[in-house]
Amino acid sequence: MTVDSSIAPPPGATVDPSTAPTAGAVAVAASSDRAARIAALVIAYGWHLLISLPAVLLNWSELRWPWVVGGGWLAVALAGGFAARRLLRGRALPAGPLVVGLLVVDAVVFPASGEEFLFHSANWGWGTVGWFAILFLWGRPLRELVATIAAGAVIALVAVLGQGADAADLSRYGMYVYGVAALPIALAVGAATLRTLAAERARAASASAAVTAQRLAAARAQRDRRDRLALVDATAGDVLADLAAGRADPADPAVQRRCALAAARLRRLIAESDDVPDPLLHELRASADLAERRGVAVDLVTLGTPPPVPVPVRRRLVDPLAAVLSTVDDRARLTVLASPDAVEISLVTPDRGTLEEVVPPPGDEPVEYEDVRDGEVRWTRTRWQAR
Amino acid sequence: MAGPVNGPDTAPPDGGETAPADDRDTTSAAGPPAPAGDDVVSAGGRAVRVAIVDDHPVVVEGIRSWLAAEPRLTVVATGDDPDVVLRAAPDADVVLLDLRLHGRMAVEKVTELSAAGRRVVVYSEHTDPETVLAVLDAGAVAFLAKHEGREHCVATVLAAASDRAYVPPTLAGAIVGDARPDRPALSDKEREALLLWFQSMSKASVARRMRISEHTVKQYVDRARIKYTRAGRPAATKSALLARAIEDGLIRPEEIGTYQSYAADDRPTP
Repeated sequence: MTVDSSIAPPPGATVDPSTAPTAGAVAVAASSDRAARIAALVIAYGWHLLISLPAVLLNWSELRWPWVVGGGWLAVALAGGFAARRLLRGRALPAGPLVVGLLVVDAVVFPASGEEFLFHSANWGWGTVGWFAILFLWGRPLRELVATIAAGAVIALVAVLGQGADAADLSRYGMYVYGVAALPIALAVGAATLRTLAAERARAASASAAVTAQRLAAARAQRDRRDRLALVDATAGDVLADLAAGRADPADPAVQRRCALAAARLRRLIAESDDVPDPLLHELRASADLAERRGVAVDLVTLGTPPPVPVPVRRRLVDPLAAVLSTVDDRARLTVLASPDAVEISLVTPDRGTLEEVVPPPGDEPVEYEDVRDGEVRWTRTRWQAR
Repeated sequence: MAGPVNGPDTAPPDGGETAPADDRDTTSAAGPPAPAGDDVVSAGGRAVRVAIVDDHPVVVEGIRSWLAAEPRLTVVATGDDPDVVLRAAPDADVVLLDLRLHGRMAVEKVTELSAAGRRVVVYSEHTDPETVLAVLDAGAVAFLAKHEGREHCVATVLAAASDRAYVPPTLAGAIVGDARPDRPALSDKEREALLLWFQSMSKASVARRMRISEHTVKQYVDRARIKYTRAGRPAATKSALLARAIEDGLIRPEEIGTYQSYAADDRPTP
């Protein structure tokens, strides 16, 4: 039976993780189904080669029309081979023609093998119909298999009655029918059950994995928020506390600088939590934006597309520049030069000589930092190179 | 591809080793013989004739007013179709070309005009390195970013008129950011000068950082730019740039084609 394609949600559907089948569920269902197909093939060909073929060959000379019996055997073997190739590649089968052909061969083999072989293995069609019908009807409803096996039983009944059967023959017929029907049907039911169970187990496992992933993501988002809050506390919190307690005078230029720095950091942290395609540039723009609102003419030039940069690296790249930018009061040139594996950011501002040192945030990310003044300009550069 | 209606008809100097740039003949079939393109900037020369091609009238007017404040420059024609503009002003010394005309990138037009010996200065808001370098490959004398302002615009046009390539900061950044495997090899000093120039827009700051004179900074930047004149398709403008670079002592004739080995030599030309 082919994997039910309804196991994958339709595109655009919202997925409830508790019931959504995942690639894992599909894969497990597919692999257990493949194992069942191989088992069915082995049984059908085992029967056909190890039971039917020797019986036909050993009794060749006594068969009524040996070439018809042998030709039928070969035709079913070839049709089975064709079905096997398509089954193993997971492709659809022309079930109807194959099954009809199988029953026709079965009906021909009865008279071709002769009366004395009615209940003999050389009359191989009777016992073979069930096993090959499983192959031909793989993935189709069980009732079709039952119907095919029933048709085989009817063909056999006509043959038995046509030979003037007595009560003993009829009871043998009954046993025979039971023998050739029960096992193939049991195999088909088993395979279907196994597939359903495997898919359900995989679905349950992937649902629980999805829940775990969501829980981890939520925990991580919360941790990131806490970290950002701690960073904000370290800057804005202190200034606000000093202002509230009257320890800081809003008229004092140093306090104003602390406020500007805290605002810059806040703005950058808010930008950091935004979900945007190019976070690095987004954070730089946020810093530039804040400076522009204070009346600074910021010239922001970007060349190249920055590669994705982890948050800690981004912080170390942008923070020192955002801090310097928060102290500028007339103009600044901010440039980004990016290649697929490196980013260099530079901030050139007039050197006012009154500015405190900017310390890059601690961390072990490989970000080079440089802050140089020559009396005319202050030149702050950060550079990150992928390892 | 046909050249402009009245392009120069002299073969470009071959390989940049002969024929100094002032051999260019900008005589048009219709107009009077034009003075040579040499020394137009020097005192006593006539003003440089500039044609502006842009599909936004407001930009044309803005650039016109920038150039009007510079007595050495005069705008002779403007319009949104390069062919029409150059028919109106066949003797224009420099063409200022907006790279994006009517929604299409005009890199092919740059190739056509440069091959015919037109000195094209491209200006655009599209400053990604690939675009900038493609424009240089096509033979443009310079690339100017739209945000770079009057000073760089005037400097670029004046330099272009005398077959010298002025390097505005954005162009410097694009050259430093060039990641193509077959890019021209630059020396460490040339790269550093370009990078710092892009970052600071001040040759004085670069000179202080590198502890060299401003003149030497300019030489590093210009030498790096000249190394890019051999990339892409050959064009009359490129030959003229190389010839002038040799004349100015920026490179030696034997260096042309041997940039690889020269890149390791950091001594600026005396």
